[in-house]
Amino acid sequence: MRTFALVRLAIWRSSLEQWTWRSFLITIVVGQAVTPLLGLFVWSAALPGSDTVATYFVVLLAVQLLTVSFEHHTLSNGIYSGTLSGALLLPQPVVIDFIGSNIGFRLWHVVFGLPFVALAAAVTSTHVTAAGLRLAVPAVLLAGTLRFVFTYTLALSALWTDRAHAVVGLGETVIFLLGGTAAPIGLLPQPLRSLGHVLPFWPMLGLPAETAAGMLRGSTLAAAYAAQIGWLAVLIALAVVIWRRGLGRFTAVGA
Amino acid sequence: MMSSYRTGVPAPSGPATVDVAGLAMTYRVPVRTAGLRAAFRSLVHREYKHLAAVSDVSFQIPAGQVVGFIGPNGAGKTTTMKILSGILHPTAGRARVLGFDPHRRHRDFLKQIALVRGSSPISGPTELTVMDNFAYRRLLYEINEDRFRANVAELTGILDLGPLLGRQLRALSLGERMRAGLALALVHRPRVLFLDEPTIGLDATAAIAVRRHVADYARTTDATVMLTSHYMTEVEALCSRVLLIDRGRLRYDGSLPALAARLSPSKLIRVQQGDEAAVVEWERYGEVADAGPDHVTLRVPRTDVPRVTAALLAEVRVSDLTVTDPPLESVIDRFYRVASA
Repeated sequence: MRTFALVRLAIWRSSLEQWTWRSFLITIVVGQAVTPLLGLFVWSAALPGSDTVATYFVVLLAVQLLTVSFEHHTLSNGIYSGTLSGALLLPQPVVIDFIGSNIGFRLWHVVFGLPFVALAAAVTSTHVTAAGLRLAVPAVLLAGTLRFVFTYTLALSALWTDRAHAVVGLGETVIFLLGGTAAPIGLLPQPLRSLGHVLPFWPMLGLPAETAAGMLRGSTLAAAYAAQIGWLAVLIALAVVIWRRGLGRFTAVGA
Repeated sequence: MMSSYRTGVPAPSGPATVDVAGLAMTYRVPVRTAGLRAAFRSLVHREYKHLAAVSDVSFQIPAGQVVGFIGPNGAGKTTTMKILSGILHPTAGRARVLGFDPHRRHRDFLKQIALVRGSSPISGPTELTVMDNFAYRRLLYEINEDRFRANVAELTGILDLGPLLGRQLRALSLGERMRAGLALALVHRPRVLFLDEPTIGLDATAAIAVRRHVADYARTTDATVMLTSHYMTEVEALCSRVLLIDRGRLRYDGSLPALAARLSPSKLIRVQQGDEAAVVEWERYGEVADAGPDHVTLRVPRTDVPRVTAALLAEVRVSDLTVTDPPLESVIDRFYRVASA
C-alpha cells in the first residue's frame, strides 16, 4: 500500500517537473512518432489496401507512446552527475522515483501524442474492435513494464561506463529492428522472424499492437502473454543482480 | 608532519552511535598523459590510478555528541560522510551507524538519519513547494499526522519558514533553500545528522540561524551530529570534539581548544600604551606580531604568558591589555600547510 502511495507521489512529482519543459516534451513526442508513421507510410505503399497493416502501425504508434522509456536520461544522468546520492538517502527503493518519472513521461506522451494517433487513424482505414482493445490492455501494461525494466537495466551500465547513452541507444535500435517497428514481425524474412518471436523485443512493442489489431488470437495470444511474463521475470532478475553489483561502484562524483 | 593523536575529550562510554574501524575508500580513476597520441592509445589501453580518499580511519561517536569533521579540501571528509550515510560502499574496514551497516541501506536506518549538503540542500523536483516537500516526507518517513504538524510548526517558527511554505523550491534564494533544506531534513527527527558545509554561501544572519537551530536540535533531541565545515567559528560554536582528517587519514581526535594549544604553542598579548610618547623595547617581552601607533601585539609562549603579563603591567604604562589565542583559522591553516609540506 505504501509502495503504491509512493509511486503515485513520484508520478505526481515527476509529471509536474516535466510539465515545466513541455515545449521540449512535444519535440520528444514528435520524435517518438516518426518511426511508426514511417512504417505506416512505407508498408501501406508496399501492401496497398491492407487494412491490417494500417491498423497495426496506428496502434503501434499508440503503443510506442505508451511504452517510451528514458532511463538513460533519468537514471544514467543521475549516476553521472551524482544526484543519485539524494535518492540513495531516502527510505524507499531507489527505483520508485524512476518508475514515477517513467510513467510521468508516458502520461505526457499520451496527452501530446493523442492528436497524432487520432489523425493517423482518421486518414487511414484503421479498424480496431473493442474486444481487440480489451485483450491488448494487459499486453500494453506488460510491454510498458518490460521496456522500462530493459531500459533501466541498460541505463545501469552508467555504473561501469560513461557511454550508457550509447548502450541504451543500441537497445533502442534492436527494439526498432526486431520489435516490430521496422516491419511487423510476421513480414520479416527467416530466420529473423523466428528470432524476433523468441527475443524480448517483440513483446515490448509489436505484440500489443498485433493484439489490438486482431492479429493474435487464442493459443497464440496466450503464448504471447506467457512470453511477456517470462521475459519480465528474467529481466527483473537481471536488473536486480546488476543493481546490486553496480551500486558498489557508485562513486557519487560531483554530488 | 603531525602524527595522529587524541586528547581533550573523554573516550565515549557505552555503545557508540557511529562506530568506524579501519575504514578505507579507494577510487579507481582513469589517467592518461596529454596529447593526441595518448588519447588514441587510451581508447584501446586505458590506464588507471588508485586514489586513496580514506585510509584506515577509526573513531566512535556516542549519542548526543556534536562532532566537527575538519580538514582541507580533498581530505576525505565528504567521502567518509557518504560512507556513513550509505551512499558509498567502503573498499575496506567497517562502519556501523545506529547498529546498521550503512551501505545496506536498511529502511529503518535511512528513516533515522539525514544528510544535508550546503552545496545542494534540497534534491528532487524544484517545481514543488516547500509544503509539498514536507507532505512528501511525511509519507516517506511514515510520520504520524499530529507529530508531523507539530514538527512542521516548530521548524517553521525556528527557521522562519512561514513565508516560504507556499513557494516553489526553484524560486528560493540560496539562504532560503538552505533553511528549507535543513527543515526538510529534520522533519522526521533524525537520530543522526550529517551536515556537509551547511552554511556555505549563507549570509551572517542565515548562518547564525542555522547554527543556533542545529545546536538546539542536538541539545533537545540528543541527536548525534557530524559536521564538516571550513568555518572554524562554526565548528567552535557547535562542536565539543573535532576529528581532523588530512589526505584520508585521521590526524587528530579531541577538543578544539586542545588542538589549538597543540598546534599553536603561543598566545597573543595585545597592549595599548597609556603614554604613546614612551619608547618601549617590546622585543624584551616577546615577538612583535603587529604594531600600530597606539598598540602592539606580542606573540608569547603559553608558559611565559603570566610572567610577561606581570612584567608589562609593572614596567609599562598600559591603558589596556588582552590575552588571546591566535585565530583558529590561522592555526588550522598552519596545520594544513605543515601537513602538506
